[in-house]
Amino acid sequence: MNKIFAVALKDLTRSFRSAFALIFMFAIPLLVPLLFLVMFGNLADEEQGFELPVTQVVVVNLDEGGAGFEQAMTNLPGGMETDSLGALVVRVLQSPDFGDLIAVRLETEPATARSLVDNQEAGVAIIIPADFSAQYAAFDGQAVLEFYQDPTLTIGPGVVKSILNQFMDGLSGARIAVTVSLARLEANDPAVIGQVIEAYMAAQQQDGPSAARLDVRTPVQDGPARSPVLVIVGMVMGAMLLFYAYYTGVATGQGILQEDEQLTLPRLFTTPTPPASILIGKFLGVLLTVTVQVIVLLIAARLIFRVDWGSPEAIAMTIVCVILNASAFGIFLNSLLKSTRQGGVLFGGVLTVTTWIGLLPIFVGFAGGSNPMIDSISLSMPQGWIGRMLLDSIANASLGQIALSGAVSLAWTALFFTIGIWRFGRRYV
Amino acid sequence: MKAIEVTNLHKAFGETRAVIGVNFTVEQGEIFSLLGPNGAGKTTTISMLSCLLRPDDGDALILGHSLRKDPMGVKSVLGVVPQEIALYDDLSASENLTFWGKMYGLRGAALKARVNEVLEIIGLTDRARDRIKKYSGGMKRRVNIGVALLHKPKIIYMDEPTVGIDPQSRRSILDSVLALKSEGTTVLYTTHYMEEAQELSDHIAIMDHGKLIAAGTHNELVRIVGEADRITLSLNAESARLIEAWKRTRGVQQVDAEDGNLTLLVDDSNQVLPRLFEAAAASDVRITSVDIQEPDLEVVFLHLTGRALRD
Ligand SMILES: Nc1ncnc2c1ncn2[C@@H]1O[C@H](COP(=O)(O)OP(=O)(O)OP(=O)(O)O)[C@@H](O)[C@H]1O
Ligand SMILES: [Mg+2]
Repeated sequence: MNKIFAVALKDLTRSFRSAFALIFMFAIPLLVPLLFLVMFGNLADEEQGFELPVTQVVVVNLDEGGAGFEQAMTNLPGGMETDSLGALVVRVLQSPDFGDLIAVRLETEPATARSLVDNQEAGVAIIIPADFSAQYAAFDGQAVLEFYQDPTLTIGPGVVKSILNQFMDGLSGARIAVTVSLARLEANDPAVIGQVIEAYMAAQQQDGPSAARLDVRTPVQDGPARSPVLVIVGMVMGAMLLFYAYYTGVATGQGILQEDEQLTLPRLFTTPTPPASILIGKFLGVLLTVTVQVIVLLIAARLIFRVDWGSPEAIAMTIVCVILNASAFGIFLNSLLKSTRQGGVLFGGVLTVTTWIGLLPIFVGFAGGSNPMIDSISLSMPQGWIGRMLLDSIANASLGQIALSGAVSLAWTALFFTIGIWRFGRRYV
Repeated sequence: MKAIEVTNLHKAFGETRAVIGVNFTVEQGEIFSLLGPNGAGKTTTISMLSCLLRPDDGDALILGHSLRKDPMGVKSVLGVVPQEIALYDDLSASENLTFWGKMYGLRGAALKARVNEVLEIIGLTDRARDRIKKYSGGMKRRVNIGVALLHKPKIIYMDEPTVGIDPQSRRSILDSVLALKSEGTTVLYTTHYMEEAQELSDHIAIMDHGKLIAAGTHNELVRIVGEADRITLSLNAESARLIEAWKRTRGVQQVDAEDGNLTLLVDDSNQVLPRLFEAAAASDVRITSVDIQEPDLEVVFLHLTGRALRD
């Protein structure tokens, strides 16, 4: 037992002595999200985390209002000073909560607003039609507003869209509340409609704005507010962490072949140590190296980029699965090789291809989308299940919600370990 | 009990028969050398005796432990110095020794003390904290040996520990082998330098093409060739005719021509040399240098194989 640990600790020491390995294990995975941040955000405000450049928004509110809204204002003590749903939209956008993200400018002519966007003086134009409130009040109507954006921008308009989405979701909720209230009151008093909406919106506003909508796959949305850039940086960081965990698994798994070629493995076999203990020690060395790397990256990402990895149980479970799977994968792949000279195939081919396929959903996620087909392709790779666990965990999933992915990844792990141990065992023991 | 008793060891790698029916016995506390040229099968023999290679046939008892039945018992009484340096060059000498000490079952304070002792023995206390990769070839060789000393094994195998190093390091290694013997350690030593075998060994086995061709003390081996002398000559021109003439000359046992040098085995150089000069003059060839040597292992090897034991 002592000898197993001696071998593993020796390998751990050696892993962290190589400058080359350190670059791949820590520097690159942290550098990529950093570049991302520099490109899309800035590090200026320490308190708030990272910020986007402020998006210029032009709003043209043509809403003529509808019965009830004006009264609602008067009926509610301290109520919002709005006379139409359109005005409410404007108020939401102008809210100081979003001051860091968007700057609102009011215009009266839709054409002017659009040309401002065309001339790139504004990133987004929002045109609220005259019948916006009326359509909303009509129970079979559909309130639609025009969202006109600069096609060259993605993040800024995305932020505005997510604010609007949040608000519109709130409105649909309010409409259900209105319907229910009306059913109960058996009355069609416009003032009541106005009141209910106001009360509902006020309640919504207390929760604060959330931009989590950008987080497309989010299954649960009860987390605290997050900046969209941070969510993206979190995803980039997650992708890097996973990719380089597998890289480290494969690279340190190669240590068995290297020791064979550098003749220290045969020498180990001349010591009174059972060959199985030597191999187990080598496997444990891989596991410990990946463990240290993943935990350091996880904490560094939290401290440097304020990445929110999700609930402690979920991320802990995810991390255990990552470490086991990446280590087993490395041992398995190396067990298929005759010598380290074939190692290039592993790094250039198998490792890169399988990991990128597995992590595709994360990259699709950056673009703000999700694609069921890509999801299922990615799940053909063990890294796909791991990636999914991590994404879900970042999106605040509970332990139960990642349990299936965890179980599948553990099954892969067991398969890799079995084949790896069997092949290496047959070769050396 | 014998330190090492080898019976009928065989090992082939595909078509190559590396070791063919080797038998020998090593007494406790002696230095026993396997002397042979490149490819003779020395390393293959040592590998089998340290349980790294499974013999195709035969067995050996190492202090009574059978290679086949009790490999762990064998390994626990052995220290092995491999021919190639087998160390972690990204670790320091002291880290290497500490790690290998653990592999030999040492722990804690005893391990620490022993590592320091071994560093003294190999003369690297000053450089103990430097990584091996910054060491010279000779220093690496010394650490390579140090590893095998850690657990004070009863038997040490040293496979060509002096290859490719400066004379000073070589001397210190030979002295440490003699020191081991004086402490009662049994040493199985392989080399292709006959001077080393001659200086160190109580017994020598000469190996060639996988077989032991002779074994005994230095004096016993030399007696095989009788009172023969070895004459090394160089000529100003190559002459097959002269070599043929010499082979027929009375008192010449053997003529071996390689790389422009001629090595002759003769009964008594005093009598034979004038005849050699005569024949050379008759063939119009000048002898440009002559070197006469009393019988030694080189002569024995030449006598037994018809070839010189060259570096
Ligand atoms: N692993 C192997 N696979 C194939 N052939 C081998 C292997 N090891 C040794 N041989 C062959 O076996 C023969 C004996 O080799 P060995 O290494 O035992 O010689 P040696 O006496 O130690 O030589 P040297 O002085 O060069 O170290 C050689 O012909 C060598 O090519
Ligand atoms: Mg050899």
